Amino acid sequence: MAKKDAELSNLLFNRELSWLEFNDRVLQQGSREQLPLMERLKFLSIVSSNLDEFFMIRVAGLQRQKSAGARKRDAGGLTAAQQLALIGGKTRDMVRRQTAAVADVFEQLTGHDFHLVRRADWLPKQREFLARFATTDVLPILTPLVVEELNPRPMLPGLQLLVAFLVEPAEPGQSAPRLVVVPVPGMLPRFVNIPTDKGTHIAPVEDVLLDNAGSLAGGLKIGASAVFRITRDGDVTIQDAKDEDLLDVIEDAVVSRRRRDAVRLEISARPDPAVAKWLTTSLKLEPEQVYEIDGLLDARALMQITDMQPVQSLKAPDWPAQSPRDLAGEEDLWSAVRDHDVLLFHPYESFDPVIRMVAEAAEDPSVLAIKQTLYRPSAESPIVHSLARAAQNGKEVTVLVELRARFDESKNVLWARRLEDAGCHVIYGIAGFKTHAKVLLVIRREAGRIRRYVHLSTGNYNEKTARQYSDLALMTCDEELALDVAAFFNLLTGLSEVIEWRQLVIAPTDLRRRFLDLIEREIWASTPDRPGLIMAKLNALEDKGICKALYKASQAGVKILLNVRGICCLRPGVKGVSETICVRSIVDRFLEHSRIYYFANGGHEEVYLASADWMKRNLDHRLELLFPIRDVGLRQRLIRILHACLEDNVNAWELLSDGRYKTVPRKGRAVRSQERFYEDASAATSLADQAKRRFRPLGHSRADGDLSRA
Amino acid sequence: MSAKRNKTTSALSAVPEVLAVIDIGSNAIRMVIAQALPDGKLEILERLWRAVRLGQDTFRTGRLRAETMRSAISILRDYRSLLNTYGAGRIRAVATTALREAENGDVFVDRIGMATGLDVSIINAAEEGRLTVSAVRQAVGDNLLSQGDALVVEVGGGSTATNLLHDGQIAASQSMPIGSIRMQETLSTGAGTPAQAVRLIRKQVAGAISTFKGILPLGKAQTFVAVGGDARWAATQVGRLIGSTGLFTVSKEALDGLISACQGSTADKLARTYNLSFTDAETIVPALLVHQALLKATGAREMIVTAVSMRDGILQDMITGSAGRHTDSYKGVIQSAQAVGGKYCTDMAHAEHTRMLAARLFDELAGEHRLGERHRLLLEVAAILHEVGVFVSSRAHHKHSYYLISNSEILGLTQDELVMVAHIARYHRRSRPKPAHVEYMSMARERRMIVSKLAAILRIADALDVSRTQQIREISCRIGADGLTISVQGNPDLIMEQRALAEKGDMLADIYGLDVHVEATG
Repeated sequence: MAKKDAELSNLLFNRELSWLEFNDRVLQQGSREQLPLMERLKFLSIVSSNLDEFFMIRVAGLQRQKSAGARKRDAGGLTAAQQLALIGGKTRDMVRRQTAAVADVFEQLTGHDFHLVRRADWLPKQREFLARFATTDVLPILTPLVVEELNPRPMLPGLQLLVAFLVEPAEPGQSAPRLVVVPVPGMLPRFVNIPTDKGTHIAPVEDVLLDNAGSLAGGLKIGASAVFRITRDGDVTIQDAKDEDLLDVIEDAVVSRRRRDAVRLEISARPDPAVAKWLTTSLKLEPEQVYEIDGLLDARALMQITDMQPVQSLKAPDWPAQSPRDLAGEEDLWSAVRDHDVLLFHPYESFDPVIRMVAEAAEDPSVLAIKQTLYRPSAESPIVHSLARAAQNGKEVTVLVELRARFDESKNVLWARRLEDAGCHVIYGIAGFKTHAKVLLVIRREAGRIRRYVHLSTGNYNEKTARQYSDLALMTCDEELALDVAAFFNLLTGLSEVIEWRQLVIAPTDLRRRFLDLIEREIWASTPDRPGLIMAKLNALEDKGICKALYKASQAGVKILLNVRGICCLRPGVKGVSETICVRSIVDRFLEHSRIYYFANGGHEEVYLASADWMKRNLDHRLELLFPIRDVGLRQRLIRILHACLEDNVNAWELLSDGRYKTVPRKGRAVRSQERFYEDASAATSLADQAKRRFRPLGHSRADGDLSRA
Repeated sequence: MSAKRNKTTSALSAVPEVLAVIDIGSNAIRMVIAQALPDGKLEILERLWRAVRLGQDTFRTGRLRAETMRSAISILRDYRSLLNTYGAGRIRAVATTALREAENGDVFVDRIGMATGLDVSIINAAEEGRLTVSAVRQAVGDNLLSQGDALVVEVGGGSTATNLLHDGQIAASQSMPIGSIRMQETLSTGAGTPAQAVRLIRKQVAGAISTFKGILPLGKAQTFVAVGGDARWAATQVGRLIGSTGLFTVSKEALDGLISACQGSTADKLARTYNLSFTDAETIVPALLVHQALLKATGAREMIVTAVSMRDGILQDMITGSAGRHTDSYKGVIQSAQAVGGKYCTDMAHAEHTRMLAARLFDELAGEHRLGERHRLLLEVAAILHEVGVFVSSRAHHKHSYYLISNSEILGLTQDELVMVAHIARYHRRSRPKPAHVEYMSMARERRMIVSKLAAILRIADALDVSRTQQIREISCRIGADGLTISVQGNPDLIMEQRALAEKGDMLADIYGLDVHVEATG
């Protein structure tokens, strides 16, 4: 057994390093000269927000393991310290290349008369304007902290930009310089527009602040200065509590997050040794936790630039969401779904029908009940609003709110309370299991019968992310699915225990077993003339058990084509182990977020969609749903989507057996899957429009008595 | 005005027909919500269950503990609120062994009624068997069940229901006192290793089977149908799906194999290995051992497993209307009553004639009593059995009839219905119901009313055959200012009947406010 594990360990990549590889692909995307400049800035900004989250959760976790002296090793046999060392090296390299890429974009932008002007390069007139701006807009809202004189030492906030400077004593030699730290208020725009006759000039707000630090120090002389940013351990471990308390527990946890240990210090390049020393000692950081950045800190703010008026022409062409093809020409959502299953492919197809379904259900007198899971809805979610309306309209509304969506906890608490106030039956999930399933059930009383409408999705009920994440969803009246979905809610609300499911497969109880069975079945069905085929598109493949099963399948000759956007611990292309496995990854303008699982099943193809990736946490620690697509037409459509993703040779990488990724070489015509999906969606829309025009009955408008529009 | 009314009626007819069955069993409370579709089919909307160990209480101490009752009521309250969401129209709540055998089962039923408004009827083993067989018939089809003798088995928590079918009809039903929880109880007191436990269970099961061998000729059965969660679990593990029927078969060998794989394990281990709930894991081995022993006792090679249950049988009953006059179950009840009558050597000619007259009067008085088909059936059964008490003694025979009937098993009647029949028969002569009649007063008010209405009719029917010659065959009724006039065709001598009516018409006058007269038309 131990030997087997040791063998397997050589066959699995470390998940942290694999994640860094993913972020590297994002960085490389941001470095590509062919891309529109604003598209590049967007990717470069994402590199930073990704890294922030990575340090707060993963690195912080390893850090804790290391300091606790834990002997725990990863699947590949690395200790926490070893992993941290590798992560550090790789991150430093990544940040250096990111900084260079950002500099390159700004260099290019000067060609479009758009200039980022740093403090050293300000013209006198510009400095004068910025000083006035500082006096009126910046200085009044600052809270300088003379840190050394405060006892206890003030808590410096995480993920916020801070500036530090030394204030020289009034008379030289009188006393040591005093260190002042000023948090840059989050309410200020990161970039200040400098009036100019021609083109655009912007300055970073931290430069404005530093340049005017003297006024803060009452006219005293300013010595060395630095810009810095702290990342703290952000893993809120929420002990399981009873429903009611969970809200409070999370509120407390969110507060305490601010007080967590620092795990990373980013600081502007070549800092004053005294400032740097003070920071590292007071934050209890080792030198390897300090990252010097020779450029802008907190590149997340680059996203703000992409919204600026002068650079709109440098964005990628707009790909507006199209009306879903399965709803083309349908006026009434309910009758359309009654008539046929509907597949929604966001963001190519609009998320509106989902919002509409809940909104109409809220007002529709024939709707008896709405049940929905909510995980990360948007701040001003129309769905949350509709659910509250529905409850006010006297409908039975059951909402499973997942408070434990990382970094969104405080927001979640807010709207969960709002739903409760409206009279919704709000439940906070099953103790110990995060509810990741995305499902909506509308129970409607129609002529002579009850009809149930189900929406099942790979993506969250969030209309904002539905414009940026690629996700798939099914709307159906399938009676068996409806029965299962109703039972799923009964399980969540404690109304019933687990029933025998007809269509749905649920994690953590059955999903792992089912995936293993499906892979196993493919092995059985595989013959030398007709090898089995597994195709999957997912966000991450990290689960050991699934990797093992896939290796076994590969050894039995099953062809395995995977499109894994992020972490992939499976090592493909190893002789005698994983020769038949090919792993690719797409990083393009939309975040690949859907999960599609395909099994050839000896000709009786099966296609599933799921909320779960092949990760241990999805299979064992969360409530997830896998659902089959039973409509033949929709199944074929999903297979075409899978093929397009696997054929992508514009924004696709292939995972090599050494863990590196290389871009997929282009043979023949270029296939950019996202572009193809967009074109397909708009072609479908214009076809539908044409059809409407062509087939409109002649007498139609006259019968309506509306001649003016005819 | 009329347009408005039309609209209302069409809206009314468009209200979905939502039905629900709640089943209070030995280890769980289950609910099925379904709707009857316009095309007559049933669509299951929800299936729910929650564990509550009523059986453990009953089989251990004979009483339900307050705490168990509380949790059961809270489950039923939850179910009730889900039913409200659907606007469920007809709800049938039934309870089986765990309540039937509990001393305080009736008290509990009463408390459920007060807390949830649910009217729970405790059904007897025969009714359970009938409902299960009806569900199985629906699922398996008549063919399979009519091939010689078939045995339909359900291992419950408290008992094992066995129904032997001959040519598709229930020939014998027996409830064996071997249930998975009951055995689990025995074991937990005796402890010992899993292997010892298995030996002990085997012995108990073998004992039970040999006790019932005389009444239940298992050896003849060529088909073995298993119902219930334990059998279904076995089917998912080692069964084979038969086409697209949704039925599984599990061969003798496969079942043996599965049992030997499981029998050495503790419930904990089973739960983990097979991903079972702990409740299921505890009872799975005892239940499979019962199936195994019964399967071996028959001539069948394999066990056929269906996903249906008694609850589906109840749903069937509900959509076919309260057992229409000509349905199998109606006939079944009558046949079963006739068999009981035969057992007590009742005057069958008089019994049947009284039944005919009573049914006739029931129909004629439909506008007065406003009762339904099911009540007509109760009246017919009471008419068939009203004199069985003579078997004991003709003195006060109506009282003997009462207790003989209430202790009989009539296939297709619920326990409550059986009690009503017993009372109707009891009041076919002599005293009318009085507050001093404890058994009568212990029925719900509504049931007392029904009993009185039906007993009043039975008295008239009985009086019309006072001669015991079945001379009065065709009657017609007229309700006028002077009451109910029964016209008899022909020109018979009606002196005896008139005298009998003068005595026995008291209750009709009382209940319906109608004096009764009989006249000849000839």
